[in-house]
Amino acid sequence: MTVFKTYIKVLLSSKFTVILYTVMLIIFGILNMETKEVGTDFTSTKPDILIINNDENEGITKSLIEYISNNSNIKEIENEEDKIADALLYRDVNYIIYIPKNFRKDFLKGTNPNIEIKTTEDYPSQVANNLLSKYIEVAKTYRSHINNEEEYIEKIEETLKTNTEVEIASSLDNNSLTKAKTFFNFSNYTMLAGSIFIICLIMTVFNNETIRKRTIISSTNYKKLNRKLILSNSIFAFTLCIIYIIISFILVGDTMISSHGLLYIINLFVFTITVITISFLIGKLTNNKEAISGIVNVIALGSSFLCGSFVPIEYLPNFVTKIAHILPSYWYIKTNEEISILENITIETIKPIITNMIILFIFTIIFIIITNIITKRQRTIA
Amino acid sequence: MKKIIEVKNLTKQYKNLKAVNNLTFEVEKGEILGLLGPNGSGKSTTINCILSLLNYQEGTITIFNEKMTPGAYEIKRKIGVVFQDVAVFEELTVYDNIDYFCGLYITDKNTRKAYVQEAIELVGLEEFKKFLPKQLSGGLLRRLNIACGIAHKPELIILDEPTVAVDPQSRNNILNGIKKLRDLGATIIYTTHYMEEVEILCDRVIIIDKGKVIASGTIDELKELAKIEEKVTVEVTNLEEKIVKEILDFKNVENVTYTESALIVIYRKGKNNLQELIDYLKKEGIKYNKIFSERPTLNDVFLELTGKELRD
Amino acid sequence: MFTHNLKYSLKILFKNKPLIFWTFAFPIILGTFFYLAFSNIEKSENFKSIPIAVIENEELEKNEIYKQTIKTLSEDTKKDNIFTTTYVKKEKDAAELLNQKEIVGYLILTKTPKIVIKKNGTSETILKQVIDKIEEKSKTIENLIKIELEKNNGKTIEEIYNDTIKEVLETTNTSNIKDITKTKLSYTVIEFYTLIAMTCLYSGTLAMYMINKCLANMSSNGKRVSVSSINKGKLIISSLLSSYIVSMIGLGILLIFITCILKIDFGTSITRVITLTLVGTLAGLSLGTLTSVIIKTNENTKIGIIIGTTMFGCFLSGMMGITMKYTIDKNIGIINKINPAAMITDGFYSLYYYEGLERYTNNIISLLAFSATLLLISYLTLRRQSYDSI
Repeated sequence: MTVFKTYIKVLLSSKFTVILYTVMLIIFGILNMETKEVGTDFTSTKPDILIINNDENEGITKSLIEYISNNSNIKEIENEEDKIADALLYRDVNYIIYIPKNFRKDFLKGTNPNIEIKTTEDYPSQVANNLLSKYIEVAKTYRSHINNEEEYIEKIEETLKTNTEVEIASSLDNNSLTKAKTFFNFSNYTMLAGSIFIICLIMTVFNNETIRKRTIISSTNYKKLNRKLILSNSIFAFTLCIIYIIISFILVGDTMISSHGLLYIINLFVFTITVITISFLIGKLTNNKEAISGIVNVIALGSSFLCGSFVPIEYLPNFVTKIAHILPSYWYIKTNEEISILENITIETIKPIITNMIILFIFTIIFIIITNIITKRQRTIA
Repeated sequence: MKKIIEVKNLTKQYKNLKAVNNLTFEVEKGEILGLLGPNGSGKSTTINCILSLLNYQEGTITIFNEKMTPGAYEIKRKIGVVFQDVAVFEELTVYDNIDYFCGLYITDKNTRKAYVQEAIELVGLEEFKKFLPKQLSGGLLRRLNIACGIAHKPELIILDEPTVAVDPQSRNNILNGIKKLRDLGATIIYTTHYMEEVEILCDRVIIIDKGKVIASGTIDELKELAKIEEKVTVEVTNLEEKIVKEILDFKNVENVTYTESALIVIYRKGKNNLQELIDYLKKEGIKYNKIFSERPTLNDVFLELTGKELRD
Repeated sequence: MFTHNLKYSLKILFKNKPLIFWTFAFPIILGTFFYLAFSNIEKSENFKSIPIAVIENEELEKNEIYKQTIKTLSEDTKKDNIFTTTYVKKEKDAAELLNQKEIVGYLILTKTPKIVIKKNGTSETILKQVIDKIEEKSKTIENLIKIELEKNNGKTIEEIYNDTIKEVLETTNTSNIKDITKTKLSYTVIEFYTLIAMTCLYSGTLAMYMINKCLANMSSNGKRVSVSSINKGKLIISSLLSSYIVSMIGLGILLIFITCILKIDFGTSITRVITLTLVGTLAGLSLGTLTSVIIKTNENTKIGIIIGTTMFGCFLSGMMGITMKYTIDKNIGIINKINPAAMITDGFYSLYYYEGLERYTNNIISLLAFSATLLLISYLTLRRQSYDSI
């Protein structure tokens, strides 16, 4: 009990840092989740388009504008270089179409006037590009065959009306699952940074104290102390973990109550155990208070960037994901990714998840063994 | 004698604590003045006020006949301070630290070089010039701390408890160094709660308690203040109550206590007190292990004046 | 005395390992992480081929247009193939692939086309659009054949049919849609902007450390320096200058690392980049100065405060994902107007992205105003030379 009391005392003595760190990390997590672009509604994946029409709004020009308008969100932005740049920068518009002067006349004449565009080069802008090119393409094919403009436009519009039947074959709430995944992936950073920082801070205090005490107390007591320290550290790490889970319930409650939510939670718990052993190992290796925050940031940011905690795994270069295999975070995040696309939960489907967890356990055991070896060495040297 | 510092009616009030209370004293040229008092008596606060580091509610402080202010750089140039806490740069070597602080006073490179060398010799750190502070032991670090404060050869040196937690060897080195500085013409204020140091070192002592001067003078003058002249201790077992009472009736005896085989007889004034006691014990046939006489210490003076011990 | 203090301050800063770590090594380490994590993202965002499945039934076999188009769109040899297509015999197999997340959706052709997908999303939308397009082509062909037959210009049905298909499939649009987007701001470059912003602000730790050593109420060294005969103003300015010099060396190394080793292109105006860095570092120094002057706590906590504030500022200006910057700028713009990390990042943006210098100049002015405010508060606090307690 005395160890635990001292532990709490040390924790309280740096309460400002502890609270600052914890709150900041959690805010990071929430903000990160709230702002990530998650899958949008099928019908509403309408690109935001700005049309700057330098031609008269008649005939085929009018038809083109109407067609684009019906299939996108038209934005009104002043035709100023900076305003347009801003709009593209902030993704207020995905696509800008400049219809040239005399477009109608030239097009009907059979020349192909250039339509200038600006694009943000993302998926919505691709959709916009499809809309535009589709219209032009259809218009071009009919052009040489129909002479009457009205009839011509009618044919174009009729052709463009086709609509493919779409069936959505899933009952999963993908939006919410992806949100939860983003949140839990970010927790890789929170758990690593928070636990390593606090645990190392406390370990340096205890290490100094124990050096003094070691001469006084017997070796068995020292082992006991070590065990109690691990226990106290675990309590801290799990508290952090539980706070995180509670927040996930507040933010994406419906997902968290489902069996998917349970899997996310189990995964985070398994990862927390690994994190505790990592923190303990690093705490054993560092005696320098000043070095802690440096080490924490390098390890936490490093594994978060390399394992897909910030940038989705599928965007990482292959060689990076290969390197990431040797980091526990990779397996934690991989599990989250798998949970988010899990259709029905059966023994068969969760097999890969269990494999990942076993790998995390192996990491835990390796860290414990290394810690023990180091402890023994340190003791024989001392 | 020329007055170097004049402190008049200095009062410093913290939120709910009067740390210095109407303090008045002077420091004369060439003396080592001891500021003696228990922890928390207001010594450091007084020093910080003198140096204009702390503001104060009342009183005037004059140094070298000029009013001391934070911007009085000409006065500051002539002062050297060694604070209680070790104030050195962890990143700099022993030599560089001394050179850095010395350079805040002395611009000429060659003069500075000589001064730094002298300071190093004075505190005996010749072998450690290239060491970093964290490689030094506690005592050596204190010596470095002193060297940094006095390298620019100030006329007035203020040392605030420079020997806290220092090993005996370093302490001797430090005390000798301070004497040397005085011999070279510096005026020194030395604060401490170690009365032994004051007795060895100081020409004059001011005893402070609760922010007030409770006594001042030379060591001998202060000892006069104590009503006692001599303290005799006899190591003896199984002494009868009657004997103790008889001793108490002796001429000049102020007080007699007998606890755990130690008889302590305190004399006011007078001569041959010890001889008389020995004769009496012989006559009564009392066997004793040891008998010794002590002159009163400053602690006794302090005890006499405040009713409490100097040390905590 | 000014140069004496400057010289030793430089020595002190360069020998302080934790500070040098934060201002020199850490940005380079983080930069390397960015480089590793983001080097692929550009290509991914530009376009990623969508995996689909197509059921090979009789309808498909008969429908030459569908068969041809899908084949063309899935060709690996084409640079931007839209689809990666798997052909399956039975719908069950396609459904299985869909469940395994191997594909985004699949197409069954009956009388009309039908696509089956798992969720709403952009890839699914593109799949639908393309199928729509193919359907349109069929329809166009149908219509054109009708028109041509009516015209009756002496061709056989066979000829009309073949000519029309050929014509329709060969008609493309791309040639006259011209992309005139000026500069494409890459994610990687943005990340490095925030990295430079972070490094600029981290220099606050250097200033904090040096100023702390000048103040009697903050450190014992400060007491010693305060009783010396050096003018306080001179002392502080030379200490600040030393931290400025060290910071700039750190940033110089970082810029060289980013441009020469990681080969990140910052555009052409290197003087403007350096000016922005200089001003940004000034903002960092004033942040450090203020922290040192008004917060009374130990040095490590102060370093923690500076690093924490900086990281949070960088987070808001898009370090962990650029969407954050957009969201903040659009919804609570004021935050990034007073966030020095955002000012620096935005300054780089404007250099790279905007024609005029207005936005860049605004950012420089904001940064100077930010620094001036912080330094003024620090100055007012510092003017008091004696303290109530130390």
